[in-house]
Amino acid sequence: MNCREAGPLLHARLDNELDMAGSASIDLHLADCRACAAQYAALQGLHDEIASVDLAYAPGAAFERKLAARFLKEPKSPLRLWTGNWLTASAMAAATVGVIVLIVSMPALRTGSGTDAIATEILDDHLRALEPMHQVDVPSSDQHTVKPWFQGKTSFSPPVPDLTGEDFILIGGRLEVLNQQPAAAIVYRRRQHVIDLYVLPSPGADSKTELREQGGYHLLHWMQNNMSYWAVSDVDLTDLRTFADLIRGK
Amino acid sequence: MDTRVRTFELTVWPHMRAAYNLARWLVRNNQDAEDIVQESLLKAYKAQESFRGNEPKTWMLSIVRNTALDFLRRGKSSAEVVLEKPGFEPRDHSPDPERALLEQSRRQRVRRAIAQLAPEFREAIVLREIEGLSYKEIASVLGIPMGTVMSRLSRARNLLLVELGGAKEVSA
Repeated sequence: MNCREAGPLLHARLDNELDMAGSASIDLHLADCRACAAQYAALQGLHDEIASVDLAYAPGAAFERKLAARFLKEPKSPLRLWTGNWLTASAMAAATVGVIVLIVSMPALRTGSGTDAIATEILDDHLRALEPMHQVDVPSSDQHTVKPWFQGKTSFSPPVPDLTGEDFILIGGRLEVLNQQPAAAIVYRRRQHVIDLYVLPSPGADSKTELREQGGYHLLHWMQNNMSYWAVSDVDLTDLRTFADLIRGK
Repeated sequence: MDTRVRTFELTVWPHMRAAYNLARWLVRNNQDAEDIVQESLLKAYKAQESFRGNEPKTWMLSIVRNTALDFLRRGKSSAEVVLEKPGFEPRDHSPDPERALLEQSRRQRVRRAIAQLAPEFREAIVLREIEGLSYKEIASVLGIPMGTVMSRLSRARNLLLVELGGAKEVSA
């Protein structure tokens, strides 16, 4: 490699954009060539200097609040709006609410067996998957295509019943990671609504179907044969219950 | 909450600050940057159903860039280069005021050098050095091949070395 060839590659090296072979050939040249080594050191110095100060312009808090109010339904951080005496009053109110929530949620926590975190994870995943390209890894309305697709990807075989007769149309399946382990997501459609059925191994006794509601979405959860099942959708709750019963019955 | 708002919150909203930063560097004043971010978010909100890519960040930033370029082309800029306003600096809570002052002057010096670059070099440097995008992501935001990204960064950095190089020895 000569210096002319090395020139632009010094930047790619600096930016970690070269593969191992590319990096190695540049490093060889730098070991040999003083001029390029000096240039590289200068670039490294510049890079470090730029990185050492925060150069990003941040939007003002008022502007950010205005955007949140316009584009998101709930402001990101209502706490920021409290000032002066309000703070004391609000803190007291918050403390009271805290106590009430604690009392109310205690029994729920006990029966809910620590599934709140995973419920949130599942709802977030469901919402991400609503983007068209993210919906399925294996698009198929044929249960005999979807079910075998999971072989070798998961240690279990998820149920993929054909529910066309009940008006739940199979769209396909995708692989997810929930609670740090592979999970199967089977995707159905009911009219315009997408239903995600998440299945993941989870040792425990069979349970009856529990309902959670979050931001207009229903999550039905149950345990069956040491597997944890979650059905998530914004479809009518009656429809989702019918769906869960069909899955449980199969 | 309806699905569109939730989708927007999960895909586009996380890049709002990056959007503002890029807009601010391109149009060089706060008011215009705010207008551009607002317009870009609205475009992204309306277009999110037709978005098919995997990278909402580069998608969002390319919307911001196009909006900013349109804006500059129409010559609507409400003010030319505005000097650094202390009020908009990130708050520094370090207990050492002397160090904070030094940091502030270094920030201004580097910012001024980057601000002086021609737009095509400036945007490449901002996306790479401040937003930390890969060449591939930069290529996608700017709509140019990766080789061009590399040569623009190369030109930009050599210009910055000239601009910043001399003074560095004095302050070091």
